[in-house]
Amino acid sequence: MSGKLADLTPEMIAAERERFPRVFSMTMKARATHFVLWVGTPCLVLYCLDRFGFFSEKFWGSFGRLGIMFSQMFPPTGWEYMDEYTYAIGETLSMAFIGSLVGGIIALPFAFMASKNMMPVRPVQFSFRRFADVLRASDYLIWGLIFVRAMGLGPIPGIMAIIVIDTGILITLYSEAIENIDRKPIDGIKASGGGRLEVIRFGVIPQVLPVLLSNALYMFESNTRAATILGIVGAGGIGFLLSDNIRAFEFSNACTIIIMIIIVVYGIDYLSKRLRERFIYGDRVSQGHDRPMERVMAKMKD
Amino acid sequence: MLKFEALTKEFGQLTAVDSIDLEVPKGQMLGVIGRSGAGKSTLLRMINRLNDATSGKILYEEDGKVIDVNQLTGQELRNWRAHCAMIFQQFNLVLRLNVITNVLMGRINYNSMLKTMIVMFSPAERAFAIRALDRLDVSAQALQRADTLSGGQQQRVAIARALVQEPKILLADEPIASLDPRNAQIVMEALRTINQEDGITVICNLHTLDTAKKYCDRVIGMKLGKMIFDGHPSELTDEMARDIYMGGDEEDEEFSAAITSTSLEN
Repeated sequence: MSGKLADLTPEMIAAERERFPRVFSMTMKARATHFVLWVGTPCLVLYCLDRFGFFSEKFWGSFGRLGIMFSQMFPPTGWEYMDEYTYAIGETLSMAFIGSLVGGIIALPFAFMASKNMMPVRPVQFSFRRFADVLRASDYLIWGLIFVRAMGLGPIPGIMAIIVIDTGILITLYSEAIENIDRKPIDGIKASGGGRLEVIRFGVIPQVLPVLLSNALYMFESNTRAATILGIVGAGGIGFLLSDNIRAFEFSNACTIIIMIIIVVYGIDYLSKRLRERFIYGDRVSQGHDRPMERVMAKMKD
Repeated sequence: MLKFEALTKEFGQLTAVDSIDLEVPKGQMLGVIGRSGAGKSTLLRMINRLNDATSGKILYEEDGKVIDVNQLTGQELRNWRAHCAMIFQQFNLVLRLNVITNVLMGRINYNSMLKTMIVMFSPAERAFAIRALDRLDVSAQALQRADTLSGGQQQRVAIARALVQEPKILLADEPIASLDPRNAQIVMEALRTINQEDGITVICNLHTLDTAKKYCDRVIGMKLGKMIFDGHPSELTDEMARDIYMGGDEEDEEFSAAITSTSLEN
């Protein structure tokens, strides 16, 4: 054969179809799967929407009330309570910060135990994974409610709720990062006569540290958002004031609080994004001794 | 015919390709040799505009029409890229797709965007892709995922992808540098066959002298971005090779052609 597509005759095409039928058309099973996906999914969505009453008069009529609510939000008011609001925002941020820091540290040893390549005893590795699943299975608000019952109102149950969920999610994210590392540097350290701890220190840590930090920072963003609503169940932070104002139909006060939340969350997201980029793409030239924590601290400073 | 006029590429302070003038007649198999960093890859990548030249011209003449490659944009540029297929040192297949889909990628320029997005290729194109795989002896793997193939097989799939583009020029950037000698030989022979049977111009970057000597009609030698040799492989003396591969700080080292060769003879 010398190659011109135009030279192919129908007979040649038929012959190739004979040889490789699956190159030309899908199997019946694949066709059925496609049919289910492309026809079944939209049908299921429409059925659910109908059952929930999305096609009813009640739903479409409620937009009017929503409009009135929004119009009552402006102009934002409540500037006289600014001190109270600012204090609550500060509390929210502190909750997120402490919760993320503690959770991020607790998750580290657990993550190694939950990684297939670091923990060869499968049942142990498996149970650590499931443990993490249990921690993150319920939402912030549920853990918040539980801890409020036990510890009373205030930021402490909120911080506890954040620690639990942060730990649960980070064990999973960390251990996935650890499992996805490149084996080659590990073989390199082993072949130089390194033991288990040296393998972790030089073969694993330098590879995963930027990813772990990036994950921890991402969780800090997520926790800041969570801390803004934990107050709804009495677990501290700005959420209490927000839900209180909405319940009292003080929509314009609520609007001020929402604006403040948006500014703070946006600020934290931006800061964390910048830091994460630095960890991952930061300078490639090492300055003298390679001490990862020092490098991180140096970056935090500038 | 492909023609370079004072072709230059600068990366900041570094001049990777330094004012190269060259004419490559249609159907030639041209080897480009030189040390790592001599500018071979940059030269090739300027031809299909994966890198843009800093100054100078690349002209392609056929049937009295002249294409000024550096001026191409949009659809015209994509058409040009389809007409000068490229194969890479690391094969650059989409590893999670199966072999036949990888080969059909070579047809995307010939189909509408809508059709390619849902992998809708004509039966003729599918047959054409299988025959291209046949030619490189990897059709048995057509429905396997590309990452299940060995390096040599992957490179052959990459060549099949290049073939279904029905290219005028085939650019090969270190095609055998990641392969064992046996697979290197298979790949080089495939390139040579394509060159001779289809009349496709092949421009091939190579690390090793003896491969260039064995398979190419013509060899150019590059050093620090400049072309310092241009001629028939037989004119490539040890003296000349020493010039291409040595220089500067390594002046005193004994040069032996053996260093630069991975022999393909059995």
